[in-house]
Amino acid sequence: MTSSSAPSRKALSKIASNRLQKELAEWQLNPPSGFKHKVTDNLQRWVIEVNGAAGTLYANETYQLQVDFPEHYPMEAPQVIFVPPAPLHPHIYSNGHICLDILYDSWSPAMTVSSICISILSMLSSSTVKQRPADNDRYVKNCRSGRSPKETRWWFHDDKQACIAFTFQIASGDRVWASESSHLFHSYRGRV
Amino acid sequence: MESEDEFDMHDAAAESAEDDFYSGGEEDGFDSDDADVADYEFIDNDSDDSDDLISHRHQQNYTILSEGDIRQRQDDDIMRIATVLSISKVAASILLRYYNWSVSKVHDEWFVDEEKVRRAVGLLEEPAVPFPDGREMTCGICFESYPSERLRAAVCGHPFCNSCWAGFLISSTAINDGPGCLMLRCPDPSCNAAVGQDMIYALTSEEDGDKYSRYFIRSYIEDNRKTKWCPAPGCDYAVDFIVGSGSYDVICRCAFSFCWNCTEEAHRPVDCGTVAKWILKNSAESENMNWILANSKPCPKCKRPIEKNQGCMHITCTPPCKFEFCWLCLGAWSDHGERTGGFYACNRYETAKQEGVYDEAEKRREMAKNSLERYTHYYERWATNQASRQKALADLQQMQNVHLEKLSDTQCQPESQLKFILEAWLQIVECRRVLKWTYSYGYYLPEYEHAKRMFFEYLQGEAESGLERLHQCAEKELQIYLNAEGPSKDFNEFRTKLAGLTSVTRNYFENLVRALENGLSDVDSHGTCSRMASSKSLGGGSSRARAGRGKGSTSRSSGPSRNIDDPGHWSCEHCTFANIKPATICAMCQQRR
Repeated sequence: MTSSSAPSRKALSKIASNRLQKELAEWQLNPPSGFKHKVTDNLQRWVIEVNGAAGTLYANETYQLQVDFPEHYPMEAPQVIFVPPAPLHPHIYSNGHICLDILYDSWSPAMTVSSICISILSMLSSSTVKQRPADNDRYVKNCRSGRSPKETRWWFHDDKQACIAFTFQIASGDRVWASESSHLFHSYRGRV
Repeated sequence: MESEDEFDMHDAAAESAEDDFYSGGEEDGFDSDDADVADYEFIDNDSDDSDDLISHRHQQNYTILSEGDIRQRQDDDIMRIATVLSISKVAASILLRYYNWSVSKVHDEWFVDEEKVRRAVGLLEEPAVPFPDGREMTCGICFESYPSERLRAAVCGHPFCNSCWAGFLISSTAINDGPGCLMLRCPDPSCNAAVGQDMIYALTSEEDGDKYSRYFIRSYIEDNRKTKWCPAPGCDYAVDFIVGSGSYDVICRCAFSFCWNCTEEAHRPVDCGTVAKWILKNSAESENMNWILANSKPCPKCKRPIEKNQGCMHITCTPPCKFEFCWLCLGAWSDHGERTGGFYACNRYETAKQEGVYDEAEKRREMAKNSLERYTHYYERWATNQASRQKALADLQQMQNVHLEKLSDTQCQPESQLKFILEAWLQIVECRRVLKWTYSYGYYLPEYEHAKRMFFEYLQGEAESGLERLHQCAEKELQIYLNAEGPSKDFNEFRTKLAGLTSVTRNYFENLVRALENGLSDVDSHGTCSRMASSKSLGGGSSRARAGRGKGSTSRSSGPSRNIDDPGHWSCEHCTFANIKPATICAMCQQRR
């Protein structure tokens, strides 16, 4: 109830900043296609530009992702949101919060910013309709005081009217991932 | 079948009753030997009643487990699976955990499709990636390079450095997240290899290891369908229960007795659903109820509760009732005035109170007509019996810890010879519990079941007075011997009396419980009282059988259905009264045939 839009303002641990430096170096060498890291001197908050993949509903659209890292990254998941205006998508709320399980319950420390980006892009690309989640207004109103999406209790179920989360089977090489939705393998994850 | 029961009952009674009941010396004779003999006879005869009774009383269908027992069983199960499937103990425990500790389920699934089980559980047969020795490799979490001896992997081979493993294992997704840590998978997002407890113990602090091992043992109880923790606060015992074998009542080693099915305190003869309803009702109403009971009286005319907030005893009920009455005696105000002691006092009340004629409870019962009053009636008695039970428990403790030793001194009896007193108190405690629940039973017994209600109230009343007799004897009559200077001559007589009362009461309550559990079905059938009588007598061998026969025969001789085979009579379906053939209206309850 109290946190500001940036999750924890505690400085990164040594482990976290080492790891982020390595991730950044790898990113600069091999950026995931469709993404651009906006260079700042703040290692704890990354701002990333997303370009909708060609041939999808979001082709030629550009959005911004904001990634905030907690003190104990990567043991804890980063907070990832779209900077409004967020893309119109059944799992993205108008305040930028994203309903995607790997950002919350299914986070693993072996995931990276890069793998998150790819998951988000596949989520966008597989969408067949541009619309907000059914409970958008209620949810956004609840978050007005600047609540972090990590404080939300997300329900990942395949109920058509509610938020659905995708689990992506990411093959070992990230670059295998093309930006075309036809290549994406996704499955619904049911959680009661 | 009726007659068979009768016959056996006589046998059992004749065999051992006399000497048992009158000897009084060997108190263990009540329960053990003779009872067993009797039981075998009951197994032979085909009565379901007696079968129930045996499983209830003599074959314990549950086992109490201490923490040591639990670990032992868990180890045994793991060992069994490891041996039969030729896998490691770590793998066996992962497998068992996945199948909720059911050894047979693991066997079934494994031998049907081992490959599928391995995939689901995350037990890979060979590594997904090679884990070469002696080479530098990159940790999949911190991305630093390490020589292979500083890296570890689960069966899948995905390498992570020791400190990242440690961080992962205690992170908020693992041990600090609760029992979920028992089902950890490799951190690699594409991999579902299970992480075993060997990794946990090797890589985390002792404290975290302990936490894990607590979750591990808890899981063995909580995820297993056959076991539950004892719900008493602070109790660490668990109960292993054989489902489908009679009564759900369990008595834990901590002395708490509870229902295994719903884990509320033991509540025979009431079923779990009714208990849940009753408890819900109480939690919703009890506060209101207590306040109303303490602060209000029902208007004698319209029964609405009235709170007195001004000094005068002259109460006028609110419209539309407008009845004027006296707060003290609840009589009409028109009867009051100078003759009754003036307007501010009520002599009728005072005199009646002095003479003991004034029975508030009686008056209340009279008024228990609307639902609130009706509920109050049952709730009050339920709560009173609960309180009496608590008191009896405390008295039992007191007896055990203080008085028994003293009594043993004054009466020159070894404490082992005084067990009958503790047994009496235990019986009182148990009876209070049963009696308490009969009030919840009574509340839910439909009003239209006229005959059943009458029968129920009769049984309940008998139970209550029987228990009073026992309570009186254990409390008041014992006092004489407690205060005595030296051995009393008639102490053995007292022993015989109290032990006898204990067993008679036990027998009566057991039969009461069973009659209520059967939904008082005896009332519907013909043979009403003779059934009840014979089941009473079957209450468990020896002295109990004898005592039961006594009760049984009284209710038989006075029972309305004794002539039920007599073709000249018909049995009223409402109250079971045997009416003469020509009558079309029951002489007892005025109901039409």
